[in-house]
Amino acid sequence: MSESAAFDRLTCVLCPVGCELEVVKDAAGEIQVQGNQCDKGLPFAVEEVLRPRRNLATSVPVRGTAAKMVSVRLNRTVPREMIFPILKEIAELRPAAPVRRGQVLIADVLGTCADVIATRSVS
Amino acid sequence: MAEPIETCDVAVIGGGPAGLAAALGARRAGAGTVVLIERDRTLGGILNQCVHDGFGLFLYKETISGPEYAERLIEDVARESIKVETGAMVLDLAADRLLRVNARQGYRLIRAGAVVLAMGCRERTREMIEIPGTRPAGIFTAGSAQNLVNLQNLRIGHEAVILGSGDIGLIMARRLAFEGVAVKGVFEILPWASGLERNIRQCLMDFSIPLELRSTVVEIRGRDRVESVVVAKVDGALAPLAGTERVIPCDTLLLSVGLIPENELSKRAGIELSPLTGGAVVDETLMTSVEGIFSCGNVLHIHDIADWASFEGFAAGERAARFAAGERSAAKTVRVSAGPNVRYALPQLVTAGKAGVEWSFRVTRPMRNVRIEIKGRASDRIYARKKFARLLPSELQKIKVREAVEEDIEVGCRE
Amino acid sequence: MAGTKSSIYDVVVIGGGVVGCAVLRELSRYDLKLLLLEKEADLAEGISKGNSGVIHAGFNVPAGSLKARTNVAGLALIYPLADELGVPHRKTGKLVVALADEDRPRLEELKTEGDRSGVPGLEIVGESEIRRLEPLARGRWALHSPHSGIISPYELTIALAECAWQNGAEVRLEAPVEAVACAEGLFRLATPRGVFSARRVVNSAGLFSDEVARLAGIEDYRIFPYRGEYLITDKDCGLRLGMPVYPVPSRDDPGLGIHITPTLEGNIILGPSAEPVEDKRDAASTRQVMARLKAEAARLMPELGRTSFIHSYTGLRPKLIDPRGKDRFGDFIVEESAVRPGWTNLAGIESPGLTAAPAIAGMVAAMIGAGLDLRKRPDFVPERPRRVRFAAAGDAERAARVSRDADWGEMICRCEHVTRAEVTAALRNPFGVRTMDAVKRRTRCGMGRCQGGFCTPRIVEVLQDEGVPVERITKRGGGSRLFYGRLKG
Repeated sequence: MSESAAFDRLTCVLCPVGCELEVVKDAAGEIQVQGNQCDKGLPFAVEEVLRPRRNLATSVPVRGTAAKMVSVRLNRTVPREMIFPILKEIAELRPAAPVRRGQVLIADVLGTCADVIATRSVS
Repeated sequence: MAEPIETCDVAVIGGGPAGLAAALGARRAGAGTVVLIERDRTLGGILNQCVHDGFGLFLYKETISGPEYAERLIEDVARESIKVETGAMVLDLAADRLLRVNARQGYRLIRAGAVVLAMGCRERTREMIEIPGTRPAGIFTAGSAQNLVNLQNLRIGHEAVILGSGDIGLIMARRLAFEGVAVKGVFEILPWASGLERNIRQCLMDFSIPLELRSTVVEIRGRDRVESVVVAKVDGALAPLAGTERVIPCDTLLLSVGLIPENELSKRAGIELSPLTGGAVVDETLMTSVEGIFSCGNVLHIHDIADWASFEGFAAGERAARFAAGERSAAKTVRVSAGPNVRYALPQLVTAGKAGVEWSFRVTRPMRNVRIEIKGRASDRIYARKKFARLLPSELQKIKVREAVEEDIEVGCRE
Repeated sequence: MAGTKSSIYDVVVIGGGVVGCAVLRELSRYDLKLLLLEKEADLAEGISKGNSGVIHAGFNVPAGSLKARTNVAGLALIYPLADELGVPHRKTGKLVVALADEDRPRLEELKTEGDRSGVPGLEIVGESEIRRLEPLARGRWALHSPHSGIISPYELTIALAECAWQNGAEVRLEAPVEAVACAEGLFRLATPRGVFSARRVVNSAGLFSDEVARLAGIEDYRIFPYRGEYLITDKDCGLRLGMPVYPVPSRDDPGLGIHITPTLEGNIILGPSAEPVEDKRDAASTRQVMARLKAEAARLMPELGRTSFIHSYTGLRPKLIDPRGKDRFGDFIVEESAVRPGWTNLAGIESPGLTAAPAIAGMVAAMIGAGLDLRKRPDFVPERPRRVRFAAAGDAERAARVSRDADWGEMICRCEHVTRAEVTAALRNPFGVRTMDAVKRRTRCGMGRCQGGFCTPRIVEVLQDEGVPVERITKRGGGSRLFYGRLKG
């Protein structure tokens, strides 16, 4: 939701029901959520609108191999605005073979509490 | 040619999410020799290039990336005595279950007690949708681009247009944005997006990449490399509307315009294919019209969730093992057809008198507040009914029938 | 290399299409220092790859014309030539079909013309014979030409050049002639790859033969590009077409009508259309023509109305007919220039240029021989080995090949079953062409239903293994690069 938009619609992904939520920023700047069939939908919607969190995934070259890549991701979500700064950190990574699936390549990247982990094993 | 022909109990063709599961399913059901034949250098299939998360919610109760999902299955396969052959491609399959396999280690013939088809799918091309214009470099199908970017670390362009709002196109929009490629827009010919809403938010809205519905690419320009594409709006019949054309400068066009089950081997074996799914016609045991040959995963019908391709694989592998052990069914089958608003229902055949069968289906268009009904064609009897608040064509759904079905039935969707 | 630059060639051929390469190969029978200059990154980049691959019998052109004479002469030469060079081809025969009785006289005109030109075996047949000859063809009457056939035009072009090369001829690619100087009985041809001197020049530059002639001060020709669009079906479309089927041509049609032609692989080609275009480089396919091709083809063969197409392509024909003029027929021009003795121009070599190529080559050799002393090479090798295709081999041969060389066991193209061994053989060609299209034309990679979706990443790997850096991987040379380097490191 951008500063100018006063209204957003999103589907809650927390359970298979998939309530369609409408999120409105009222005159007082408060966030109002409608359409949820349980309470869990409220913080989900508010967070998605105010402080969206994202994961990210990419791949980096593995040192000591003939041009092999290892795919990486974060082990938890981070604030959306950290995506590009984290990608920049990841772009410098050149882990040495062998890499194990789950291996932490950067711990607590940029203070977000998220680790960058390898998502496959490369020998 | 007097070379001895190798034999095995179950041959699984394809080592992706479905094939890995099929090999495991066959072995765990007691098959003696299970051969898993994969044409790529490593097992994993398409999962190897799907670096994003979202996999494993059902199989592993957590969401992980494609490579992680694949590696777990690969480790399971390594623990069983399954004969894995990578870099091996099946060039021919005959109805008597004779496979012709080519690999660096040798060219061989293998006769299998049962075969599981798990070859996956390929992408619809620019030529198949007949986009006019020139034939420059810089046109990629989204999956091909994903391979080149994620597995080969290649910069494929600087300014991209994406045709098709399926998940692969959306995921690649984000992937390209990560690499500083200017994604000018995603264009979708239908009035609705094909991909998950979550991907629209996280792949397009997050990066201010516009999504234009009811639009398509009507011309590609550029002599050596793509220089621009012309987009236009379309009418209700999906034909371009004159006067709505716009030129978008770009050097890359990604196509995410559909997946086609790769059934060449199935055709060679004389297996009956369904024009609705592009895959084999199967019964509830996932056996095709050629006895002893089973099908699962994307080669049977296009899945949106890898876990379900794997579940199909486990089931097909188990059935293949039982067939290889000599189990046969003489029962009559009844036909299952797609009713109103249903694109297809699978399996298309079911053993008469069989209870507890679950059908997979897709609707033809987004629908709200509907009920899915399984109805007898002759008797009009309702065998099962299930309500859905919302159904999308992009989401494969299921409905189970507790009772036995004795007649031809139809799976329909009513508002 | 400095020595080469200042040495003098007996003959330089400008243009690496099927005719230029046929001329080169014919001249390589003799003890001559030969060079072919081609402006693109590979041979057969012009009309030689943008046609339907038909071996014409010669009845579709006016008797007495050079087109007719070289076509009929070429017809007798091309089948043995294709055998010698190992180029896939088949004498399928051809039907020109009249849907109504009132079109029969036009068939008879064609037969008369053909008979006068000496075209062998022409006969007019009725409905039942049409069905027997080609079950998919429909018509009341047809002209049956039993000696017509199909051939791979770019494989022929490449084989001709490789045969010439094995007999001592040189080929330079990416070498457009940009300036010509004439002095002391020699022509000095300036290209970005060097300046080459020649006693004789054969201008076989197709679409650009008028521009090349103009460089030598010859203003006699003007080439008008006519674009033809084509559609190709999937091999699996379920239709088995045995021979080309053409509709009766109308007298005013600048093309030959929309043909239906089988390929050696089992695809069906629809086309071409024929529209004059402004720009010699305007090779785009258009929505309107693609729709027209399908509609016309369905008229001739209703089953095609329900087929799937895997590819479309275009060919730009070099015509001598001004679209704004009244002429409907332009003949071949094969002549030594009056103002520039020793310089031979080939202009307007459109259809039936493919079939006529060996005959034109003979004519040009005779013209060269009138001025230069032609002594036959005693060691001339006319044959080229046929390209080995794994897909066409039986089980025993496949097993043997893989056990001798594991590269035969590695599949690169899933649709056409092409192996790594074939791809590396194609890349190790004598002219050093290493583009994606060069691989495609020599191996069939990328010509299947997935149109390169599977093989492209694999060919990219093989290219790198063969020493081509990623930034230099192109579709067909020039600016057609696929990649802009690596993302990381």
